[in-house]
Amino acid sequence: MEAIVVEGLRKQFDPPKGPVAVDTVSFQIGEGEIFSLLGPNGAGKTTTISILSCLLRPDGGDARVGGFSVTREPEKVKALIGVVPQDIALYEDMSGRENLLFWGRMYGMSGAALNKRVDEVLELIGLVDRQKDRVDKYSGGMKRRVNIGAALLHNPRFLYFDEPTVGIDPQSRRSILDGVKDLNASGVTVLYTTHYMEEAQELSHRIGIMDKGAMIATGTQDELVRLVGERTRIDLTLDREAETLAARWRELPGVSSVSAPDDGSMWLSVQDANVLMPKLFDGARAVGARIIEISLAEPNLEMVFLHLTGRALRD
Amino acid sequence: MRALSIAWKDTRHVYRNIAGLALMLVAPLLLATALGAAFGSGDNFSIAAVKTVVADLDVGAEAGAPAAGATIAGALDNPDMADLLDVTKVDTAVTAKATVDAGDAEVAVIIPSGLSAALMASDSAGSEVQIYRDPALSVGPAIATAVVSSVVQSLNGARAAAAASVHLAVSLGVTEDSELADLASKSAEAFSGLAQSEPPVTLEERAPLVPGLEQQKRPNVASQVLVGMMLFFMLFGAATPSRSILDEHREGTLARLFTTPTPRSVILGGKYIAVFLVVLVQAIILLLAGWLLLGAHWGALGPVVVLTLCGAVVAASLGLVTVSFAKTPAQAGAVSSAIFVFIGLISGSFTGGANIGGAFAIVRRVSPLGWLLEGWNGVLFGGSWQSIALPVVAALAFALAFFGIATFFFRRRYA
Ligand SMILES: Nc1ncnc2c1ncn2[C@@H]1O[C@H](COP(=O)(O)OP(=O)(O)OP(=O)(O)O)[C@@H](O)[C@H]1O
Ligand SMILES: [Mg+2]
Repeated sequence: MEAIVVEGLRKQFDPPKGPVAVDTVSFQIGEGEIFSLLGPNGAGKTTTISILSCLLRPDGGDARVGGFSVTREPEKVKALIGVVPQDIALYEDMSGRENLLFWGRMYGMSGAALNKRVDEVLELIGLVDRQKDRVDKYSGGMKRRVNIGAALLHNPRFLYFDEPTVGIDPQSRRSILDGVKDLNASGVTVLYTTHYMEEAQELSHRIGIMDKGAMIATGTQDELVRLVGERTRIDLTLDREAETLAARWRELPGVSSVSAPDDGSMWLSVQDANVLMPKLFDGARAVGARIIEISLAEPNLEMVFLHLTGRALRD
Repeated sequence: MRALSIAWKDTRHVYRNIAGLALMLVAPLLLATALGAAFGSGDNFSIAAVKTVVADLDVGAEAGAPAAGATIAGALDNPDMADLLDVTKVDTAVTAKATVDAGDAEVAVIIPSGLSAALMASDSAGSEVQIYRDPALSVGPAIATAVVSSVVQSLNGARAAAAASVHLAVSLGVTEDSELADLASKSAEAFSGLAQSEPPVTLEERAPLVPGLEQQKRPNVASQVLVGMMLFFMLFGAATPSRSILDEHREGTLARLFTTPTPRSVILGGKYIAVFLVVLVQAIILLLAGWLLLGAHWGALGPVVVLTLCGAVVAASLGLVTVSFAKTPAQAGAVSSAIFVFIGLISGSFTGGANIGGAFAIVRRVSPLGWLLEGWNGVLFGGSWQSIALPVVAALAFALAFFGIATFFFRRRYA
């Protein structure tokens, strides 16, 4: 059963000259699914989430969340959803606990039930010890966790996470990803946005790839990877920066794309690895570089993005 | 309920900000205390007697004739003026100035030796009475100056009268010098006697005069000053929580609020309640502080309560309406401060509200604060319901209009 149905959503900021942030986007999310919107900066992920949160009105199209229209029945939709905004939206001069109590009241909760639920959520986000401290005394990771906690209080059926792991340490990130999986396991349908391919890969049942306001592909990870065709990925590391080498390899027959080198590391999408590998070693030797690590892998979502747009996911 | 949660959160936020509290509570109290002290702490709106030294160097036009200097010195030392001027006589101009320089007097009046002669002659060279004063002070020297100039004016009148009578006598054929001089001095004396029969300055009667209430009690100065200051600084008190709408917009919590099932009208309503609560608490603290620390007597309880509530409503509406025009918190701060100072000026917030009469009493009715001050003056001078009825209705009408405008702009932007 489709829990969220998005049809022809369109949003332009400051018309007529402003950017078309979301351009006729359609997709569906099944009940109990984790659906990720993957895309680079400015792809339109936050704008899409804002429309599905009834925060922005679309210029065209509509979406149904749990059967209710975001344009015509926003009150009904809002009661079903919990939104974790991309930027931390908390009251810095109040404690973590006071924040949770306040946001709980905004969802119509009160009294003993609210207090009990706040205790549970504090436990869940691991902030029982620091609950009385003001939020502006928290670390970035702790703020992120309260930011998430505030969306969980009313046990929503749908949870939207807008890049919840940006700018935090690997440990906090791990606990957030595990938390999302746990929530999903308990039956919550999740809409998750990220520009980290690995997160989308790890979490999602299905993924939508967005670029410049458009949804350029949707499907399971396998379905998306198949778009790249019968190709193999070669991951390799050189002992030096390799911009010129990458450019030269891009011209080799049988190479469909080469990622932008990152500190000597890059990957190539090729038709037949066995034919190409000797040519790569030759090319490296010709410019006095050495390949110090090389491996073969299945194509990933980053290759899919490159394949579809001609650009890397992260610039 | 949700609106109250929002209001409570915003109110606490304001009262946690020390700098904001200083502006809301400390500034008006300090100003009222300072101004109250400057005007004396008596129960009357009277000014502490100004210490004045007089050096009368005028030797008179000729022996036996009345000297102009003595007339001025006498006017200053007049028992009727004892409340206002505390006069000491010294012999030389140097001593007089030294007394002021040493801070033992606020003003020195130096009457030149040739004053009478100059007044008798047709040109007035050497007839300047010198007022020497401490430039840091203004109230005391202004009074001394007013007294002196009123005497000098009447003396000038006397001179004109003398000259006119001499001309008349000459044209009638009187030529004897001593006869003419006698005539001149007699007519001058007659004129100045006439002029002096009017008290030169009547400051007591410039004190607040509410028609029909002359017999009522006089409130102390600090309370009158504090009312004006309180209403003025309540505007700033209101602007802070009003700005929280813009702050929350910038910080993303407003957007987050809009994703909860709480309707936008309730969110805005909560904000309005917060602004009202903040200024109401401010007003109550200031009124209590004025009563306990400055000895203010606010007047009949019922009208005072109504005026306080009404003041909070007006301040809240003004805070919200000025913020509703702005796009950023910084812009709101600058715009609203400018507007508030203007409103304070046209409403008479800085003049203690008391000695307002004539045209200004009408002019300030263009502002709700002016109406409120009118109401407060009514109760301070012992009035009751009928003296606040019109001001309250008028001020609330302003507030209603401002709330309407603010709501229109906020809805257009955020709804
Ligand atoms: N309030 C706004 N006013 C004008 N333009 C906007 C506004 N919000 C977003 N945009 C524009 O819309 C486009 C999509 O922005 P959006 O925030 O949805 O992207 P995103 O995918 O969430 O990016 P990021 O990964 O950086 O968060 C961008 O070009 C952005 O500049
Ligand atoms: Mg975004």
